Amino acid sequence: MTAVGAIVGTTLRGMFGRRRVLLMLLLAALPVLVGLLIRLAGGSRDTPEILDALVVRTVLPLVALIIGTSVIGSEIEDGTAVFLLVKPIPRWRTALAKMAVAAGLTAVLMVPPVVLTGVLVSGATGESLGITFGFALAVMVGGTAYACGFTALGALTSRALIVGLAYTLLWEGVLADLLEGTRFLSVRQATLGLAAAWTGEDTGTAALDPTISAVMLAVVIGASFSITSLALARFQIRSAD
Amino acid sequence: MTSEMPPEASTPMPEPGSAAPPFPAAVTVPDAPLPDAPFPAIELEHVSRWYGNVVAVNDITFALGPGVTGLLGPNGAGKSTLLHMLSGLLAPSAGRVRVAGRPAFGDPTIYRDVGLVPEREAVPGYLSGFEFALLNAELQGLTDARAAAERAIATVDLVDAAHRPIRTYSKGMRQRAKLAGALVHDPRILLLDEPFNGMDPRQRIHMMSLLREMAAEGRVILFSSHILEEVERLADAVLVVYAGRLAASGDFRSIRRLMTDRPHRFTIRSSDDRTLASRLLADPAIFGAELVDGVLSIRTNDYAGFTRLIAPAARAAGIRLLEVTPTDDSLESVFSYLVRR
Repeated sequence: MTAVGAIVGTTLRGMFGRRRVLLMLLLAALPVLVGLLIRLAGGSRDTPEILDALVVRTVLPLVALIIGTSVIGSEIEDGTAVFLLVKPIPRWRTALAKMAVAAGLTAVLMVPPVVLTGVLVSGATGESLGITFGFALAVMVGGTAYACGFTALGALTSRALIVGLAYTLLWEGVLADLLEGTRFLSVRQATLGLAAAWTGEDTGTAALDPTISAVMLAVVIGASFSITSLALARFQIRSAD
Repeated sequence: MTSEMPPEASTPMPEPGSAAPPFPAAVTVPDAPLPDAPFPAIELEHVSRWYGNVVAVNDITFALGPGVTGLLGPNGAGKSTLLHMLSGLLAPSAGRVRVAGRPAFGDPTIYRDVGLVPEREAVPGYLSGFEFALLNAELQGLTDARAAAERAIATVDLVDAAHRPIRTYSKGMRQRAKLAGALVHDPRILLLDEPFNGMDPRQRIHMMSLLREMAAEGRVILFSSHILEEVERLADAVLVVYAGRLAASGDFRSIRRLMTDRPHRFTIRSSDDRTLASRLLADPAIFGAELVDGVLSIRTNDYAGFTRLIAPAARAAGIRLLEVTPTDDSLESVFSYLVRR
């Protein structure tokens, strides 16, 4: 196995060894359960609004936050990261492997629930299925940006979970709705912008232009990679005699 | 040390190392290069490290070559900070730290030459000892990682527990698992932070003999300890750190002998202790002799001179020496003296 493969493997194993994996699975199941209730109540034609409320606004950032802050941050906190960092591997490769795990796991946990929820809410007909898959694709790209951003946060600070929650709940949840300018720094708005382009549906009044959304998410992913690589390259142990 | 003749009489002790009296802030210990390398394996030049207003390491300079060197000091002296700087996990606030000829901080390629056994850092408990060694081998990019992991596990005597999760290990077993991970790529430089913590006596003896063997093969081994007996039994040279400063360095017995303002004490058993005492007191370097409970105790300010004097003096008086023992030459006495200064 290559060094990067070993990092991916051990990170995945570490993630599934933590109790928070249960929390992630419960969160991922939440939209499906709500979709089931909507189905039992006769279904709905408002798939974009429901997926925005159930997934993009709530579950997606929380799942990405838990995963992103765990892949590096938890290892730094419990000291196991040292064994990974005292190896002759360029730190950018370590950052890349960690971010790939975070993004991949977020996609695996979020895309199936989006598809299931969409099908439960509006059925599996041609048009509604197109909306569901368009949204699922946008969630995958947005989830990658979230996961990469939170991975960088985990590499930067031991309080990544708190900072990430503050960003998700305050910045995206409150300020983005009140102050128009903050939308340009909102992964949620960019995700909705892509979803609007790929579903052909209005995904919310505040959603960004698709091109700006794509650029913004690419910048977040690229900047997160640079920050994570740099943070690992300048990593210093937090203990002292 | 117990023998019919003091070993020093027939085998002169080596000349004192480079520890300059009286314990300067910065001294250099033997700086033999790595095999096939024109530079010292480990090199610190005026290195300091501080955290805000707290100085953890203060202006330390030394160089190390092959052999076992003990980094000795009380808890909080700066040993872990030094080892973290040497292993590239901490940047020095001032000065230069080089390992295998490269800057220790910011250059991951040093880890091809370095194996680290940290004290506090946890090992992933969900891995078995073998999996941990294998992971280290894969991260090192070894071509036959599995064979290297098996070798490392056998070397640290962890074969029986190799496939149990590390979270079920005792502290000593965890230390050995860490050592297996550090040895898996056969590094030329080994840095160990309190490696004997939690080990039982049998494990300690095994680990010590293992480290001695590796040093004999030309490896550079630096280990920290606050237990003098460990350093005394294992190390060729010692670096004594106290309050972030290098209090002394070199062969610890040599350091001890450099303390000319402090008497050395020997106990002697012979066929005629009284006559031997009177003969020895004629030498100006001997300034005290006591006979307590049938054991002759001699005080001298010239360790090497005494070891040369005792055998001829006894022979000239027709006295048979049964035992000559330096009583205060332990690292404990050296260390407590250094700390007081």
